[in-house]
Amino acid sequence: MSEPAVAVTGVTKTFPVPFKRQSVIAVRDLNLQVEAGQVYGLLGPNGSGKSTTLKIILGLVSPTRGTAEIFGRESKEVASREAVGFLPESPYFYKYLTGAETLRFYGKLCGLRGPKLVTRVDELLELVGLTNARDRRLGGYSKGMLQRIGLAQALVHEPRLVVLDEPTAGVDPVGSREIRDLILDLKRRGITVLLSSHLLDQVQEVCDRVGILADGILVRDGPVDELLAVENRTEVVFENGSDELGQQLETLIRAAGGQLIERRKSRKTLERLFLDATRK
Amino acid sequence: MAAITANTLTELTRLKVFYVLLLFALVLIGSSIFMARLTFQQEFQVLKDISLGAMSIFTSLLAIVATARMLPQDIEDRTVYTILAKPVPRFEYLVGKLGGVLLLLTITTLIMTALFLAVLSFREQAALAETTRQMAGLPQEQLTEALRAVRAATFNADLIPGISVLFLKACLLASLTLFISTFATTNIFTVVVTVFIYFIGHLQGTAREFWLQEHGGSWISRTFLAVVALLFPDLQLFNLADEVVTGAAIPLEIFLKTAALGCFYTLIYLLLATAVFNAREL
Amino acid sequence: MRLVIVLLGVLLLGGVKLPLEHHLFITRAAHRLQSTPLDLNLREQIGQLSFVAALSGFRAVIADFLFIQAHVAWERTEWSRVLLLFRQVTMLQPRGILFWDMAAWHMAWNASVAAFNNPAQPRLALRLKAQREYFDLGRDFLERGLQNNPDSPQLCEALGRLYRDKYKDHARASAYFEMMAAKPGAPNYAKRFAVYELSFCEGREREAYERLMALYATGEKERLPTMISRLKYLEEKLDIPLDQRISDAVRR
Repeated sequence: MSEPAVAVTGVTKTFPVPFKRQSVIAVRDLNLQVEAGQVYGLLGPNGSGKSTTLKIILGLVSPTRGTAEIFGRESKEVASREAVGFLPESPYFYKYLTGAETLRFYGKLCGLRGPKLVTRVDELLELVGLTNARDRRLGGYSKGMLQRIGLAQALVHEPRLVVLDEPTAGVDPVGSREIRDLILDLKRRGITVLLSSHLLDQVQEVCDRVGILADGILVRDGPVDELLAVENRTEVVFENGSDELGQQLETLIRAAGGQLIERRKSRKTLERLFLDATRK
Repeated sequence: MAAITANTLTELTRLKVFYVLLLFALVLIGSSIFMARLTFQQEFQVLKDISLGAMSIFTSLLAIVATARMLPQDIEDRTVYTILAKPVPRFEYLVGKLGGVLLLLTITTLIMTALFLAVLSFREQAALAETTRQMAGLPQEQLTEALRAVRAATFNADLIPGISVLFLKACLLASLTLFISTFATTNIFTVVVTVFIYFIGHLQGTAREFWLQEHGGSWISRTFLAVVALLFPDLQLFNLADEVVTGAAIPLEIFLKTAALGCFYTLIYLLLATAVFNAREL
Repeated sequence: MRLVIVLLGVLLLGGVKLPLEHHLFITRAAHRLQSTPLDLNLREQIGQLSFVAALSGFRAVIADFLFIQAHVAWERTEWSRVLLLFRQVTMLQPRGILFWDMAAWHMAWNASVAAFNNPAQPRLALRLKAQREYFDLGRDFLERGLQNNPDSPQLCEALGRLYRDKYKDHARASAYFEMMAAKPGAPNYAKRFAVYELSFCEGREREAYERLMALYATGEKERLPTMISRLKYLEEKLDIPLDQRISDAVRR
């Protein structure tokens, strides 16, 4: 598996504006690679071209120039989609189907049949924690449950790559946590994940590598740790230390020619607080 | 593909389209009530006309309305992304969707035909019994003659090709609607355009024959006629029912050719839909 | 741009389907299954909306609707309205034999009687004239009906009856019953009726007698009271020798 999971080369996409001569450039000369096994986060403000890029990779939109490949197969080919699962941004599935029926439908689309399909559906419902809701209509699902069933349908044919467009948008913190846990679970199984988001904290937590899009141009691309590291700074966190210990540390830093920039009490994140408070 | 067809059918049935059938039953019953004062020949004629007319409008409307919302709905809900992100060619997606509608049309047509034939045979029995009672005491020959007349006025085998052709017209309309919905931006647009084509389609035959046979007229009117003739399907050809109800026989040749034309159109519009949909950015 | 390509594609396919449609149209016309393009005058007569619908495959339903209106008009004895409505009905549904037959019956049998008994018209001559006019209207419906449906025994029969009962023209009546007998699916009384009428025609008694005898000879089933009495009449008239006459015993 040396070939990259996703390879986007020199892709430009312009959309014509009706009744006008000029056109809107959604993506400009984009080069992007996602190595197999990585979790890649595509960041950017709304309208920066994230969704367009994902759609080009999935062959839903054809690029004006350049090529997109999935595991070495061009996205235009229907067969390239055998290796990829997709969860679009806030999707609605068929409301009249139950969770299990939805998965069965998507399984059939991928050519799964018979007992193999039945076991796969059970597995997936288990994986996304919807076994109890399997026979309920999607019309009665919460946003978080819909997102999880969406993730399950993306995984139905055991793809090597999963593409998620804003997987946590509009989902409450508990649901969002569950989805992030699922993503980390996928990573452990060796599945490549490409996701787009504008919620930076969450990306930071799960992604190995991020790219930042602005106005259709990839302005940053690299491993999260590298991109976020401030070269000449180091943070130290300790427990059960007295105030004197802090004073001593400051003296030591000064003596070594350094400078203490900030000293404060460690805080837990608001998310942690929320999750602890709402968990029963 | 079969999965999409089955799913589309489920989707449509959940939309309670089968209420159309209820409406059809009401039309049948309603029309037999106010015919009480007509003679049996008139009664059967009216019953057949109204039933076939209702079948025609219901299947056509069902085809247009059910198909028009399918693609825009899937695109709006982004369900189409989840489906096309699977290894499903777009052609298969469209065939599946159309298949669902055609299956629905088949089921509705079959049920309506069954209802219609049931009412017709019920009325026939009543008319036969009444005739027998009225003609009691008259020679056997005359009674047989009268009963034969009743039977001749109710069933004729040509009703079946007549209904089949109505069904094919609905299939054509479904395929046409699908084609239009591939480039339409709203549901309303699709429905309005299809209904417009529906009406023009019934005039197309007149325009075409005029264009082919008459050589007078200004070039503007000739161009106009040519465009109408080339652009629109001739839906009048699918109205065998008007002739069937009067008892006119439909030669097999004409039925087969009409059926072939219906299938041809359905296929053509499906291919056009695929061509447009393949090029479409989602 | 794409729309233009699509339109061009549709136009191109139009070129393919055009001959197919035309061919089917011709075939249908040959079998009298192609409704003749509607007379545009009709547009003034029934509303715009029904006109559009009439072209859109609801001709039969509209015809029925107008037919029922005609029925109501008849019950109210509004004769000119009956006439007008039936003209529309038959124009919309020219293959509907029933409509032609009903239209003629209303004119020649009902309206004519009403015209003859019209209390508002004291002069007999004018009442007779009006009655004649309604006969003619009835005949007109039947003749046009027959043109549209040349295979219909029912319309021939109606014409026969019209000439027999209204015009008292036995020769023509006989000719129409004869025509009726030649149509597919004609009832077997058609031949008898034709000959009965012939028996009333001055100078054709011999011919009528021979044909009646031929029918008589086909068996008991044909020997109905009217036939016996017509035969008796002809035997008298033609002075048939007693030993050749039919026996009274068969008379029922």
